[in-house]
Amino acid sequence: MIENMISVGIDIGTSTTQLVFSKITIENTASFASVPRIKIVDKEVIYRSDIYFTPLLSQTEIDGEKVREIVEMEYKKAGIKPSDLSTGAVIITGETARKENASIVLKKLSGLAGDFVVATAGPDLEAIIAGKGAGASILSKNESKVVANLDIGGGTTNIALFQNGEVIDTCCLDIGGRLIKLQENTQRINYISPKLRKLASDINIDAVEAKAMEIQQLRAITNKMAEVLEEVLGIRKSTEALKYMLTGQDLKRNYKIDYVTFSGGVADYIYSESDENIFRFGDIGIILGEAIRKSSMMKSFQIKKPQETIRATVVGAGSHTVDISGSTIHYTKDLFPLKNIPIIKISEDIELQEHTRLSEDLREKIKWFHQEGNEQQIAVAIKGVKNPSFKEVNSISQELVKGMEDFLKTAYPLLVVVENDMAKALGQTLYNHLSYKKDVICIDTIGVENGDYIDIGKPLANGRVVPVVIKTLIFNS
Amino acid sequence: MISENEIKKVVEQVLMELGGAIKVEKGLSMDSNTDVKGCGEEEDGLPDITTIDLKKQVLVPNPEDLAGLLRMKESTPARLGVWRAGPRYKTETLLRFRADHAAAMDAVFTDVSEEFVARNDMFAVKTMCGSKDEFLTRPDLGRMFDEENMAILKEKCVKNPQVEIYVSDGLSSTAVEANAEDTLQTIIQGLKGYGIKVGTPFFVKYGRVGAMDAVSEGLGAEITCVLLGERPGLVTAESMSAYIAYKATVGMPEARRTVVSNIHSGGTPAVEAGAHIADIIKIMLEKKASGLDLKL
Repeated sequence: MIENMISVGIDIGTSTTQLVFSKITIENTASFASVPRIKIVDKEVIYRSDIYFTPLLSQTEIDGEKVREIVEMEYKKAGIKPSDLSTGAVIITGETARKENASIVLKKLSGLAGDFVVATAGPDLEAIIAGKGAGASILSKNESKVVANLDIGGGTTNIALFQNGEVIDTCCLDIGGRLIKLQENTQRINYISPKLRKLASDINIDAVEAKAMEIQQLRAITNKMAEVLEEVLGIRKSTEALKYMLTGQDLKRNYKIDYVTFSGGVADYIYSESDENIFRFGDIGIILGEAIRKSSMMKSFQIKKPQETIRATVVGAGSHTVDISGSTIHYTKDLFPLKNIPIIKISEDIELQEHTRLSEDLREKIKWFHQEGNEQQIAVAIKGVKNPSFKEVNSISQELVKGMEDFLKTAYPLLVVVENDMAKALGQTLYNHLSYKKDVICIDTIGVENGDYIDIGKPLANGRVVPVVIKTLIFNS
Repeated sequence: MISENEIKKVVEQVLMELGGAIKVEKGLSMDSNTDVKGCGEEEDGLPDITTIDLKKQVLVPNPEDLAGLLRMKESTPARLGVWRAGPRYKTETLLRFRADHAAAMDAVFTDVSEEFVARNDMFAVKTMCGSKDEFLTRPDLGRMFDEENMAILKEKCVKNPQVEIYVSDGLSSTAVEANAEDTLQTIIQGLKGYGIKVGTPFFVKYGRVGAMDAVSEGLGAEITCVLLGERPGLVTAESMSAYIAYKATVGMPEARRTVVSNIHSGGTPAVEAGAHIADIIKIMLEKKASGLDLKL
């Protein structure tokens, strides 16, 4: 059995908007006589859109109508209808990542985008998605190395570190190619971000709007930006500048970085020289790339080429956000798709001790989400047991039902996400304990944490698996 | 060709030598007075080498990439990274190999305990085999019941059940004891959820897969499902399978059986298999077919 699903990724960033379609192939890899084991066996980008400047109404507000036009046109060019899509993600990143923009995009793209996910990526999620799209995650797994991917876009640099394919650290800096915009073919500043102005004044350069700049001055600024990147990677002593250029937490720097990859729009000018007019984009992107190419980063680390540069985030969104559940799952009704469901995870140490405390823990945590008059669908997550006995499944089920007492009075189905392979047995048991009256959805082989959100798509492979998107909004918490 | 007897002799000799070597070593450590504590521990028995998780054991000294090797081992039950002593296995590897082989032999030659049968509210019948030896040498007898045993079945079981589920030792009693209880209970619960009635469960001693056909005919079951111990291997002696057939008849083609195999702690967990089997049975009842006739 081989089945394909088409996934769309749309990346609306500070400077560019792009779209890709990916073909994700799933296959039952178990032998004929075994319980099915359906896995993603291949991911292939089948269509890449042109790269557009993000249509903006103001510095921070997305022009939803124009975005819709772009997306519609690209669907037509690719010959793909919304109904062909099984899953996908729209990621709004950088300075445009705001709630209002997400709702504008959601409204404008509804119908076109079908049932897929709209997420305003926090800087951490963006870093992870870009790192996966750039191939840093898979590189770290294949070569057993720690790989840092620096996605340097128009507004921000998002750094993700991978070890054995897993994310171990992320951070975000206000370093990007379009933080200074220049008048076409001159070096007069049209726009400069406040933080960059501060960075410039630190090296005694007065960079303000409407002022014409010397090339050397602009290069001094981009050299300083590259220095801040050296600081964050731990090869230069960190200064005050690093502190204020970070948008959130700093990197932990408690590991050794083996490889560095660069993605994002600026990356292309790190890997190869530009012989044309270096200010042809009306920004400092190209000279920032040159500054990085000449920096000591190139000597201190082994620099690898990513699979994607400017398209890393959009490919990550299209190909690497979706996963599939385990192949033995249980749902009593096809209530999919379910979107933006907050996760409540039971503490693992409580699970490890006695199951009897499970319901208490759950009851306590559910209060955060479940207030009277403000009920919503939630998902309970547990680690579960490897190879559990029937008795253990029963006791876990009973505790879940007990802990969810209040929630069970609502009209929402009981949604349980388990990490270990036991969802089908647990789902059937839950349904039994609920006297076959309450709908139950129980899926496994999915690891989630508190603060995550989960999207579950329409079942695939004859109903055996569901596509799942985990949105990790808080990473370094 | 070397005869089996000759091989046995060689193995015996090697084992004797090996035993001798171990004794000498122990004597040495006693003399040097370094391992007095170890001796005390040995009174409680030797450490059980079969409790070591092979996937986490690396015998390679100073591996270039330990984490990488462990990840590779995680993806296969094959004995990777066992290192060597000269051109041979290390003693630990050899002993583990023999211990696993012994577990496989035990799984075949032990019987499912009466306690297991009683604990699951079952009764026991047996096929026409009179002993384990006959069971191993006469597969045909392992598929048939004599009149006496068939009479017990007919007397104690609900007639014409929608689904008849029973347990049989097959080639691994260990597998049955390890998994059958959890799988059976999960199937019954799952079927209850679908409103499907289950017949009276029982245990068949010296049973081959084909005995299910005789059971099906004897009880007039619409679906018959047997949970049966599989021939053990060196990876696990605890692997159980479920064979399920719609209106099985004696002499029907093997292709009419649906199989769910590899039920053990390192394969499909017993409860997940049970829940999956409940689904298969439901589909089988709807489509009135099994084996290759049934597209799952």
